[in-house]
Amino acid sequence: MTTARSLFEVRGAGKAFNGRPAIDDVSFGVRRGEFVAVLGPSGAGKTTLFRCLAGLTTMDSGSALLNGRDVAAFKGRERRHIAVVFQQFNLVSRLTALQNVLAGRLGYVPAWRGWLRQFSRADLLLAFECLDRVGLLAHAAQRADTLSGGQQQRVAIARALAQRPDVIIADEPVASLDPRIGAGILELLRAICHGDAEGVAVICSLHQPQFARQFADRIVGMAAGRIVVDMAAATFTENALHAVYGSDIETPVAAHSGVPEPEFA
Amino acid sequence: MAGADAAQARLLFENRLRGSPRGRLKLAAILCGVLLFYIVCWRLAQVDPVKLVNGLPKLGHWLAQAWPPNLAELPLFGLRIAETVAMAAIGTTIATLLAIPMAVLASRNITPLPRLYYPARWFLNALRGIDSFVFALLFVAAVGLGPFAGVLGIALHTWGSAAKFFADHIENAQLGPLEAVRTTGAGRGTAIVFALLPDILPVLLSTTLFWWEFNVRASTVLGVVGAGGIGLELKNSMDLLDFPRLFTIIALILIVVTMLDQLSGWLRKRLV
Repeated sequence: MTTARSLFEVRGAGKAFNGRPAIDDVSFGVRRGEFVAVLGPSGAGKTTLFRCLAGLTTMDSGSALLNGRDVAAFKGRERRHIAVVFQQFNLVSRLTALQNVLAGRLGYVPAWRGWLRQFSRADLLLAFECLDRVGLLAHAAQRADTLSGGQQQRVAIARALAQRPDVIIADEPVASLDPRIGAGILELLRAICHGDAEGVAVICSLHQPQFARQFADRIVGMAAGRIVVDMAAATFTENALHAVYGSDIETPVAAHSGVPEPEFA
Repeated sequence: MAGADAAQARLLFENRLRGSPRGRLKLAAILCGVLLFYIVCWRLAQVDPVKLVNGLPKLGHWLAQAWPPNLAELPLFGLRIAETVAMAAIGTTIATLLAIPMAVLASRNITPLPRLYYPARWFLNALRGIDSFVFALLFVAAVGLGPFAGVLGIALHTWGSAAKFFADHIENAQLGPLEAVRTTGAGRGTAIVFALLPDILPVLLSTTLFWWEFNVRASTVLGVVGAGGIGLELKNSMDLLDFPRLFTIIALILIVVTMLDQLSGWLRKRLV
């Protein structure tokens, strides 16, 4: 691994609910253009961690730094630097795919444009470009609730891209999709963080180890609110898998063939 | 094990059905209480079937006098009905516009000022609890006779009802899209308009239509207190015992209300 300075750095993050720690002393860093998968069983604290990173919840202790700045201090428009992709897509169902992507520009434009949904030519072009990037240009005028689950998640990713973010935080982006469609989504996220000149970093929580191994550069494994594994995806061994899921896990780490080919478009 | 559990549950259920002596006593007490309630209400409402039997011929006599209808004053009636519809339209629209910000304040999940949540709810309940008729009565005294007093009465009462309805709707709405749009860096107001409004707008418009229609019906009586509209002519006719005129007005109200009912029903179906 290269020793480039971290773009996004989590230091000693902790959060408890009713005295029970959900995450405890979580630390890791992410570099530009890096795809980090956060792996762990249900209840390991992934969602809590991601809500803290996205600024949707405040941490009890520790901090998350983007370019050295604490994200907890990000107010209003600064939040555009961190884009969030949700498990349930969270598109505005009665708006079109394009309008949903344009939501990604709301952190840039004056409020009246958002109120009237009137965007500049440059923003419209960017939104079309983002839709094209996720392969849905032909569906721009379609209402979001008429799109399939996989298409909706692609629109959500296009919305994230329209924010021109430094980092994309994806919380279980494929958990609501079938494996074939999910692989396509992860392929897209990997292409975005490896291919784009600006080098967006992606932090993505998953619960399928095969996916993490196939698409991520690095795997951070969580169990019971703590980080138990942090290593390159290529070196993620069965021992590491046991550390995350316990030794009675049935999924063999070599079950690479279980992952179907990613689906495009 | 599961079989034994099921059998036990069934036994418990049957026991409850059969009822213990204490359970039966409770049932008897409840029945007595309900009976007492209706006896007291009957007395308070001074229900007297004899009076109804004696009064019916009188009604029939009036009805017989009502034909032929009084069509000479139709232009005046038309104007008054138009006044009624206009009062309801303006009052309902003002109420809806005022209800939107109030509904945001009175929704636990998105209110920008949580401290004002309960005061906002109380305020809306107070508006809702006072009928537009009562408000109109007050406003006639304050702004004088005429439809404007009726508009204000309708607006205030409907404001409370509409805002409470919208707020309940918002409290049950999916907030995922709102949260997502907030993370793009949009301000709170922008996010609400962008992510929440499109989803609640059809409901908002269709309930506004419903209230308009409801308020047309309700405001036919506002004229009785001098707050404009067809109710004024209704009261005049009754005071003069001019039954052809009275029944013509009632028939006219029925026709217009039915037409509006159909129109608003058709529009609402198209919105949702």
